[in-house]
Amino acid sequence: MKLLKPTWVNHNGKPIFSVDIHPDGTKFATGGQGQDSGKVVIWNMSPVLQEDDEKDENIPKMLCQMDNHLACVNCVRWSNSGMYLASGGDDKLIMVWKRATYIGPSTVFGSSGKLANVEQWRCVSILRSHSGDVMDVAWSPHDAWLASCSVDNTVVIWNAVKFPEILATLRGHSGLVKGLTWDPVGKYIASQADDRSLKVWRTLDWQLETSITKPFDECGGTTHVLRLSWSPDGHYLVSAHAMNNSGPTAQIIEREGWKTNMDFVGHRKAVTVVKFNPKIFKKKQKNGSSAKPSCPYCCCAVGSKDRSLSVWLTCLKRPLVVIHELFDKSIMDISWTLNGLGILVCSMDGSVAFLDFSQDELGDPLSEEEKSRIHQSTYGKSLAIMTEAQLSTAVIENPEMLKYQRRQQQQQLDQKSTTARETGSTASVAGVVNGESLEDIRKNLLKKQVETRTADGRRRITPLCIAQLDTGDFSTAFFNSIPLSGSLVGTMLSSQSSPQLLPLDSSTPNSFGASKPSIEPVAAAGTRPAGDSVSKDSVNATSTPAASSPSVLTTPSKIEPMKAFDSRFTERSKATPGAPALTSVTPTAVERLKEQNLVKELRPRDLLESSSDSDEKVPVTKPSSLSKRKLELEVETVEKKKKGRPRKDSRLMPVSLSVQSPAALTAEKDTMCLSVPAPALKLPMPGPQRAFTLQVSSDPSMYIEVENEVTAVGGVKLSRLKCNREGKEWETVLTSRILTAAGSCDVVCVACEKRMLSVFSTCGRRLLPPILLPSPISTLHCTGSYVMALTAAATLSVWDVHRQVVVVKEESLHSILAGSDMTVSQILLTQHGIPVMNLSDGKAYCFNPSLSTWNLVSDKQDSLAQCADFRSSLPPQDAMLCSGPLAIVQGRATTSGRQAARLFSVPHVVQQETTLAYLESQVAAALTLQSSHEYRHWLLLYARYLVNEAPPAPEGLACCLAPPHDPPAQLFLQEFSATYAPSPGGAPTPCWSAESK
Amino acid sequence: MAKVSVLNVAVLENPSPFHSPFRFEISFECSEALADDLEWKIIYVGSAESEEFDQILDSVLVGPVPAGRHMFIFQADAPNPSLIPETDAVGVTVVLITCTYHGQEFIRVGYYVNNEYLTPELREHPPLKPDFSQLQRNILASNPRVTRFHINWDNTTDRLEAVENQAPALGCGAALSCTPVKGLGLPGCIPGLLPENSMDCI
Repeated sequence: MKLLKPTWVNHNGKPIFSVDIHPDGTKFATGGQGQDSGKVVIWNMSPVLQEDDEKDENIPKMLCQMDNHLACVNCVRWSNSGMYLASGGDDKLIMVWKRATYIGPSTVFGSSGKLANVEQWRCVSILRSHSGDVMDVAWSPHDAWLASCSVDNTVVIWNAVKFPEILATLRGHSGLVKGLTWDPVGKYIASQADDRSLKVWRTLDWQLETSITKPFDECGGTTHVLRLSWSPDGHYLVSAHAMNNSGPTAQIIEREGWKTNMDFVGHRKAVTVVKFNPKIFKKKQKNGSSAKPSCPYCCCAVGSKDRSLSVWLTCLKRPLVVIHELFDKSIMDISWTLNGLGILVCSMDGSVAFLDFSQDELGDPLSEEEKSRIHQSTYGKSLAIMTEAQLSTAVIENPEMLKYQRRQQQQQLDQKSTTARETGSTASVAGVVNGESLEDIRKNLLKKQVETRTADGRRRITPLCIAQLDTGDFSTAFFNSIPLSGSLVGTMLSSQSSPQLLPLDSSTPNSFGASKPSIEPVAAAGTRPAGDSVSKDSVNATSTPAASSPSVLTTPSKIEPMKAFDSRFTERSKATPGAPALTSVTPTAVERLKEQNLVKELRPRDLLESSSDSDEKVPVTKPSSLSKRKLELEVETVEKKKKGRPRKDSRLMPVSLSVQSPAALTAEKDTMCLSVPAPALKLPMPGPQRAFTLQVSSDPSMYIEVENEVTAVGGVKLSRLKCNREGKEWETVLTSRILTAAGSCDVVCVACEKRMLSVFSTCGRRLLPPILLPSPISTLHCTGSYVMALTAAATLSVWDVHRQVVVVKEESLHSILAGSDMTVSQILLTQHGIPVMNLSDGKAYCFNPSLSTWNLVSDKQDSLAQCADFRSSLPPQDAMLCSGPLAIVQGRATTSGRQAARLFSVPHVVQQETTLAYLESQVAAALTLQSSHEYRHWLLLYARYLVNEAPPAPEGLACCLAPPHDPPAQLFLQEFSATYAPSPGGAPTPCWSAESK
Repeated sequence: MAKVSVLNVAVLENPSPFHSPFRFEISFECSEALADDLEWKIIYVGSAESEEFDQILDSVLVGPVPAGRHMFIFQADAPNPSLIPETDAVGVTVVLITCTYHGQEFIRVGYYVNNEYLTPELREHPPLKPDFSQLQRNILASNPRVTRFHINWDNTTDRLEAVENQAPALGCGAALSCTPVKGLGLPGCIPGLLPENSMDCI
């Protein structure tokens, strides 16, 4: 065994709380305290492993440092794929990092040259949910989930393919949760907390499997962390700090029956961290000795507050090695290399130690195949224990596996097109924006720079965008409707064709997805080299020896690292690199589209679950005296600013337990025999599930629980519906299985098999005898007293159950779903009972009951929206605050418009016209949706714009004035004329006063 | 986390005569589209002795700022010589570039500036009353001092409520409040602007 303390791995003397080695072994991350923030540093591994590399000045030691955490970082963990790094800290946040491939090395402006970041890691998701310090994070096998635990006593399970979606919040600990570990088979997750318990949770339903307290009864003082670990064969779980006969131990818990008979004893103070070697070993075959097959064993490192480290083999009774006085302070984290022969240990004293073992000492590691054979013989086939190669060819035995395979295929396609994109863009050598090189731009920047005056006479410069971010979020079909010119077209189309399709699939592993289409869509291809040369410049400016001239735009050496990274990346996932030709992109994209539709068909629930009644409540304006409430509001508003559809994301978080039961397979059969002669359109239907829960609203807390076929009375199986509203509970039984449920503050309704729809009051009274639907249910929604049912035959009905009237009667979606490949991606029912359908092509229609027409209220590809620039008329802080149905269906599409205007320099007059037209359509849409708040917002904007831009006689104004019965609008008009009436010159005052009487 | 990070500031036309305008090419990166404009300022420190001689050469709004890398040129007129104490006209002083979002300063870039006469004769025998037309301004571009501050990038509820409660006024008039500032940004030097770590970015 060799021991090394690389002194250069430090956080300038500040404590290091966490260390993790990248799965490919080339780098590792540390997390801890920075100067005045939390700090994550990515280090090069080779200088640790090889002395030559350590001495070689050309080999960088530090690859990247991120100071983005606001407070101390407690944990850093690489995903199993190595693509992401998750970090959690005292600032209650978890940040997920991804390597940005488009920028080369750059310095931190203002710091001396050696602090250059060799690699660029960019935060792609910030996960907010915990109300206290995040202590530990852990990726599940195959990176499907990310778990985090916190001093707020909870464990949160995040959907790692769809950040920031929360799948479950595990409550049950009554103390600070300080450690997490996944079962290598993916069946359980275990957490250890200060409440003297270790809890094991099932991943099937995220419920508690067992809580182990006995070994922890005597535990006194607290440790900073309690990092427990599961053995790679899955048989043992080893806890951090436990006590046995008043001596500190690491408790061994057997998977079989959760027995606690064994422990690792010897440390003099509490055990802070346990980490199993990822490999399973077998005895080294010595030459000449009998080939007696020995039992495989595991290896485990234990670190303690007593500053010593012990390494154990499960086949030995004594530790393999104990190292005392390794540090000056407590050991905080341990990480094994993937080959199982090295470990990095970090300490509160701010230093890191590396231990290197030989195979003679540990034994022969089993290959991954052997390991998975052990898993399979013990646990049977399951998702987590199969290697990727096996999975892609394996016989599908359960729905999880099917899902996984589909996802894999899609990812491969994604990667293919990404590769194609990258290659394409490098080939098309275009350091140009709109046909100009960056150098030209710089020369003329001052002349060309757009400078305007704001209403109060201040100078306002529109910055020139020189590169967009490489985080993979692009606006939907941005370029379709905008005339392009010059060389830009080719590069952009090639580089963007695949991302354009991305937002169509709501399950894309894209953290921002369609909800945030505000990313600057400049030619990615064209500007990438430009970005490079900028960073070069910054090197020059900060007086580092400059090797090459800044004007060189695309030297091969600069692009190479990126390529290298890509090819490695592709190899890892066993995908074939895409052809460099641009043409190859299109077929792939088309394939992808098909794929997505397929996926969509498969997962109707996921898709249709997305809207809700709680979307409607607009709490922002409510003055609130309770500070707690206020805090909540704050959270929500922040969320709102972050994403286009805030209510849905921040509040709803549909608790969907997609427990796939065999019943799901029979769904198709059921509907076949029930349904009316199949119409051309067929929407996805929810299959019956054994049980599911639905959160109706969180304030007041209200949720619905459904259990199908719970009790059998004389051969008839009954289903149970339970509703809990602020602790008050009622339940009832139904005779057929419940397919889907929905609720609002006024009603709860459930759709059952045999096309039955039952409606209850929130107190549990049945309001109507079951309604017979014309065809099986597809989606059900409630808002206030309105109930909306969308059937599989694509007919829509809305009833007001309190007034007992029909609002929309079996209206067909034929007219809006004309294209065969379109689906409904989001459904919304406004407070006034107006249904809104968001379609997969980016259009949104609402049904106008008084006219019996479908009205187009939003179109993501609308060129008006993209050219409109009314920013000058926005009140300063009010930018995107308006919430309501229109904002929800439109997302933040509006922001992209300004960029278009800027990028393609639309003539001012044209822009004015488009802006006016756009604003008018917004006003009309808000009116049709009967959303008075938004109506007011847009009308105000419109008026402001007219005043600011002062075009001749605003005819349009007269047409869009409020109907007399709309009190908010009336009120607003009065306010408005009061404000604007005295304004001199050009203001359309007469027009206003005439109409507002 | 900071949504905007400054990638580079290039000092253009340096050195140059005292009366010619300052010109900086600023590149920055924004990780998430900003709802409001950034406000940039150039502050010329007239005298190291006192803040009262600080001159705000110019302040400009920059926006809209979507996510991505951006650049612009910030040009400001030369300082008004009549506001500079005669004793401090020649010698080393400081020019600051600051950027604020929602009135909170999150970055301050400071450069040393050396003003000296061009001709050796004048250097040897400087006139009693400084002759600004003969002065050359040299910005030590290779050595910027950068100080970053944590600020709240998101709107606070209070702010929103304030807006809601107001009559829908025309007011785009964000008050042009300028904290008097001094010195090159070492965190400790600026009492009012301690780089605090308490920002709550829920």
